[in-house]
Amino acid sequence: MKNTNRAAQYAKEHAAIERFLDYRLASRWKMVGIFCAVAIFIFLIAYKFYGSNELIIKDVCRTLILFFLLLASFSRDVIEDEYVKHRRSQSYVIAFIATLGYAILIPLIAYVLDILICRITGDGTPSFHEVSAFEVMFMLVAFQLLFFEVLKRFGCAE
Amino acid sequence: MLNNLKVERAILDLTQDQLAQKIGVSRQTINSIEKNRYVPSTVLALKLSAIFDKPVNEFFTLDDED
Repeated sequence: MKNTNRAAQYAKEHAAIERFLDYRLASRWKMVGIFCAVAIFIFLIAYKFYGSNELIIKDVCRTLILFFLLLASFSRDVIEDEYVKHRRSQSYVIAFIATLGYAILIPLIAYVLDILICRITGDGTPSFHEVSAFEVMFMLVAFQLLFFEVLKRFGCAE
Repeated sequence: MLNNLKVERAILDLTQDQLAQKIGVSRQTINSIEKNRYVPSTVLALKLSAIFDKPVNEFFTLDDED
């Protein structure tokens, strides 16, 4: 009796996870997400260019960029079949590995460059720049969207 | 896994697009299967089997790496 209850519980949990994994927004949200993220990104650059640097605006814009990119990542393709789902799964795996590589390598490269610049100019001390949480999350979603499009092209090549 | 989907499709005189529509997938899915870049699920293999009116193992075969 206890085992049956446990099996039913596992089956219920499994079904809930499967439902969550299968759930996708309508395909139009992909374009909406990318368009809004790019628009906010341009606004953020312009905002910085004109000398304004209010932290709250910057933080809100960054959060909105992540939100809209997530929207794009979470929306279905026009024809959502098993091949697209397979390629999407692969893109999440590649994005995860690429982002970890980015988070490890970029600070190291920046540090080495910093050392070289300090030696050449003979000015200042080299410092280690950590990758911010926004940068990591942005790269994760951006890599996923990028690799998803690249992987899908395998099916188009003759 | 190897396949002769292209031959089977030619026998029925179907384009990739037409076959894709018949089984409810995209043309790129059919193209990927034909080029051995993607191994379809059992469901999709059985749908193809129904279209070609042949058992799955007549158009999908294991290769040395499998």
